[in-house]
Amino acid sequence: MSHSLHRFGKPEDLKNDFCIYSRAAKGINRDDCGDKLRRTLEIYLKNDVVNFGSSHAGRNYLSGLKPDEYAKTLDNSYGIIATFADRNAVKGVLAQLKEVALGISVVVSGLIDEVKQIAYEVGLRPHTALLSLGIYGKRSLLPADDVLAVTTMCGHSLVSAALAREVIDKVKKGKLTPEQGARTLARPCPCGIFNTKRCAELLEKQRSTAQ
Amino acid sequence: MKIDPDKCTSCLSCIPYCPMNCIAEGDDGTAIDEDECVDCGVCRNVEVCPEEAIYMPAEAFEYPRAIRMQFSDPSVQHPNLKAWGRGTEEAKTNDVTGKFGKGDYGMLFEFGRPGTGARFREIEKITTAICAMGIDILEDNPISGLIADKTTGTIRPEFRDEKILSAILEIRIDDSQLAAVVDKVIPLLDDVDTVVSVGLVSRFDDNDELPVIGALRSLGITPRPNAKINVGLGRPIVE
Ligand code: SF4
Ligand code: SF4
Repeated sequence: MSHSLHRFGKPEDLKNDFCIYSRAAKGINRDDCGDKLRRTLEIYLKNDVVNFGSSHAGRNYLSGLKPDEYAKTLDNSYGIIATFADRNAVKGVLAQLKEVALGISVVVSGLIDEVKQIAYEVGLRPHTALLSLGIYGKRSLLPADDVLAVTTMCGHSLVSAALAREVIDKVKKGKLTPEQGARTLARPCPCGIFNTKRCAELLEKQRSTAQ
Repeated sequence: MKIDPDKCTSCLSCIPYCPMNCIAEGDDGTAIDEDECVDCGVCRNVEVCPEEAIYMPAEAFEYPRAIRMQFSDPSVQHPNLKAWGRGTEEAKTNDVTGKFGKGDYGMLFEFGRPGTGARFREIEKITTAICAMGIDILEDNPISGLIADKTTGTIRPEFRDEKILSAILEIRIDDSQLAAVVDKVIPLLDDVDTVVSVGLVSRFDDNDELPVIGALRSLGITPRPNAKINVGLGRPIVE
């Protein structure tokens, strides 16, 4: 699951866009990891989480997934991912995960230098990276960069370019606020890695440049 | 996916939600182009249809069509993996599995992502090229189960024309193979009738740097500034 990897955008737009994925490993620490994942969820919830979700339930936190109900399903799971829009929140999560020492792997998506710096600040060191080498092939099929910055926040590509264009247009015309637009766009992403705060900022920029 | 014409009022609300842009209003009302649809479920799952007219027909669960939802709807477990993911654990748990040591790389070719979808016949262009280089396609990955011949990389014929939202092809190489893969495989992606997002797994070195970034630059590739970083919280850790 490399679905939080290829988030597209300018470095300044990606500065406040993080996903944290805690994941147990098959054959090592996956058996009976439900309690560890529930503890992780509590830590996410205490640290300004923007969104998380359950592809199995087909719903994310912002579209009505109840944390208590989600927590009950974690015995059947082996990982839990959430989105954050602020380095202090990420720092808080990592510091608390380090303290509770659950022993499952933790992966942070974000700007490489920023994630490394946050890791150092809580006494961690980066172990392995998954780098994005970019998009190849028939690039003429891709939408414009401003649309791609929105759609790639759902790594499974469930947020369509047509919906992004429609929402951008409605925000520019004042028919939706940037926050309402971001909520609409987050709905198709059941894993909840669509960062509504970053999306609202991108939509706000589009609105102000249109005026 | 299908729309029940007896229920649909052609309100058009579902149209913009389709990532494949394959719902359209025609002379006979609003309908889904079944050949372009990847059965991702979005149009139904977002619950925008006031008439509940959108449904997954029985034939979508039949072989080989069922492969579409297995690669497109994240709520459907993949039978090869018995998991919800679309690839192996790669970098995510490498601090405890040690699957990739220093000087080893994992490469991920994600066909159809972002947002274009892909047919397996396009993916086959690259699976066969990689096998011709003597590089194995990783097991424990959804694509590996569709390969008819592991020495040639051909895809089972019944799947070639099936369309999916995205599929990840994973290989494992070492330092000595990086230049050959970049020089031979990356140009071949230009001949594929979809987009391909490429990722690379690498260990940090003892100074917390990624020497592979310099190696990639010298091969003409600049990685994006954002990445997924395993911060070494897994235990017992593989140093
Ligand atoms: S299932 Fe997915 S691809 Fe098919 S019509 Fe619905 S949204 Fe489009
Ligand atoms: S939302 Fe429902 S009623 Fe409206 S066009 Fe789509 S299928 Fe028809």
